[in-house]
Amino acid sequence: MMDDFERQLQQALQKKEPSPFFEARVLGAVKRQGRERRASARMWWASAVAAALLLMTGSAWEYERGVREQAAGRQAKARLELALKITSVKLQKISRKVEGI
Amino acid sequence: MDHPEPRTFVSVLRAQQSMVFSIAYHFLRDRSAAEEVAQDVFLQLHRRFEDFEGGSDGDRHISFWLRRVASHRSIDYARKQRLQPSVGLDDAPVPAVDGRQQDYFLNRRLQSLIGSLPEKPRMVMVLRYQEDLMPEEIAAVLEMPVRTVKSHLQRSLAMLREKIDRSMGDVR
Repeated sequence: MMDDFERQLQQALQKKEPSPFFEARVLGAVKRQGRERRASARMWWASAVAAALLLMTGSAWEYERGVREQAAGRQAKARLELALKITSVKLQKISRKVEGI
Repeated sequence: MDHPEPRTFVSVLRAQQSMVFSIAYHFLRDRSAAEEVAQDVFLQLHRRFEDFEGGSDGDRHISFWLRRVASHRSIDYARKQRLQPSVGLDDAPVPAVDGRQQDYFLNRRLQSLIGSLPEKPRMVMVLRYQEDLMPEEIAAVLEMPVRTVKSHLQRSLAMLREKIDRSMGDVR
């Protein structure tokens, strides 16, 4: 049961109305919030697409570099094999000459 | 059979703006701060409006949610702004009036005294006497034990009675 003092407290703490523009202000803020969220979502997607493109470009470049390096390695190997073959032939000739002496 | 209007954000805003604003206003005692807090509460509601189910259960859930968020936001706002009560317990003017103006000045004095209470007891008083909530409901809104709510209520009431009796005894 409430006594007189508590009823007086209820009266002192009666609900009050906000300003007449409050509703419009909130609805305006809601619209702004929606626009900001959409812009933020667009920005997120743009960043994600940019990151994906960057990753793909990087991977392609890395793959290309690997292919080039493999080709260069194969060429170097072939040159080395040729050099070794020439050296071997020359060494065999020298060996035969030495044996003939 | 009557079908109630479907709940929309605007209908909830219209129905509950007074409650949300008043919790913040009676706690902060500052209209523009209270409107700022109330606006933030409704923006937060709008972000998760679809989460609330329909029907009267949903309405009750929204009311509870709004009270809880308004209470916590008001307390946070006061902490951030370090809002001090504009009139302290002992320096509120004692009105020299009689008759019809007595209630008005008594109300102002009570609002001022409630505004000077510490944060948690102040919010407990606002929820008890503005929203007419029982201690169990206040405990749920403020996430504190019922015993603490009852203790805040008893101590605040005793202090307010004493201050009012001392300062306004001559006009009552």
